[in-house]
Amino acid sequence: MCAIAAPEVFGSDDIGNATILVGGELPADLEAKARRAEGNCPERAIEIVE
Amino acid sequence: MKQDVDYDIFNHDFIWNPFPMFEAVRESESPIVHSDKWGGSWMPTRYEDIVALAQEHDVFTSREISVVPPPPGQLEGPYGGVKAPPITSDPPDHHWHRRAILPVFSPQSAATYETAMREFCNVLIDGFIDAGRADAAADYAQRIPVNVIARILGVPVEMSETFTEWVRGVLEIGLTNPEVRRENRMKIIEFFVGQINERKANPRENDLITDLLRLEVDGQPAPLEYVIGACNLMLVAGIDTTWSAIGSSLWHLAGHADHRKQLREKPDLWPTAVEEFLRAYAPVTMARIVDRDIEFQGCPMKAGDRVLMTFPAANRDPRQFDRPDEVVLDRQNNRHVAFGAGIHRCAGSNLARLELKVALQTWMERIPEFTLVDPTAVTWAGGQVRGPRQCLVSF
Repeated sequence: MCAIAAPEVFGSDDIGNATILVGGELPADLEAKARRAEGNCPERAIEIVE
Repeated sequence: MKQDVDYDIFNHDFIWNPFPMFEAVRESESPIVHSDKWGGSWMPTRYEDIVALAQEHDVFTSREISVVPPPPGQLEGPYGGVKAPPITSDPPDHHWHRRAILPVFSPQSAATYETAMREFCNVLIDGFIDAGRADAAADYAQRIPVNVIARILGVPVEMSETFTEWVRGVLEIGLTNPEVRRENRMKIIEFFVGQINERKANPRENDLITDLLRLEVDGQPAPLEYVIGACNLMLVAGIDTTWSAIGSSLWHLAGHADHRKQLREKPDLWPTAVEEFLRAYAPVTMARIVDRDIEFQGCPMKAGDRVLMTFPAANRDPRQFDRPDEVVLDRQNNRHVAFGAGIHRCAGSNLARLELKVALQTWMERIPEFTLVDPTAVTWAGGQVRGPRQCLVSF
């Protein structure tokens, strides 16, 4: 789900687990997409830290 | 506490509308209930419990994933070991079982089928649009995923009706009829054995079955059982499920003029709308087998017990979703588990999401207004996969 909601931020590894493509600070223009990924992850695996 | 309510997952009223029962159990003192029917099972109803069960894959194993036990004798004979990897696999094999099939379902790979999908949806609509009525389930929803899966597997699309019959035999009619289940399972296996032999004689390029045959595990070719099983999974899991989701969504839209209007006027609602249909009408219920005696949320589960992964119930839990029984097309936070959770979450979700979007958008573009001919005449299938089977609409 996250790789669809925010493909610039999240990818997936070879068994389909999420990976992070942007290290450290999240670019401001991607925040809305990343928030959507956070709010729609059934695994609760994403937390955006201010 | 073990609460026996003797629920029946094949009860007509439950299949037609399971949500009142889910709610009654979920809000009771025992939100996980047990029934002795159909080989016995536990049924959790709360979101947190179902996600926890899905994530604890070492205790709640996938050695069987059907909501009813296999027919006697299935595990015997030359193809007794053929399952449906990776959905039926536990670690460590699960990981290479999943890794091998995942690339064909990546968002990029799924997208290569979009144009053909849209064309096929239009061809189907061309076939009935002048009649002013159609069966949204049988004439439309049912035909789309099988066409896509046949292309992905490189098997004849002309056999779509036969594939559909086999899959219903295994996953729908066969669940309450062991003979039908056994017979159709063998038809699928024998078909893929034939396809595999044909690929061995004439390997193809960009072909999933050829690639599976070339796959090496620890320096050895992947076992034949795995190759047959992976093909089996794609056919069985890729057809009934998505078709049911498309059918339920069209059934919903046929009964909700306000939602048809919203989608026509605000097409940017589609991404959240698709997720919301998946949440509200999650088609799939899987099962797990308990590995060892354990107490889970006060329930004394024994090794070998079957636990239903009641994703449709999780998706209506008010602890997780505001207004859970309402379809909210612009729902922003939607952690639904229509595709499951944990290591077994659906490998084909990117493809399923695309199929759902393309099928619904194409229908709405061509048939913006439609209603149920007779709401009481709609028929549903359920148990493992819930969705409408006859859904006559007029337009």
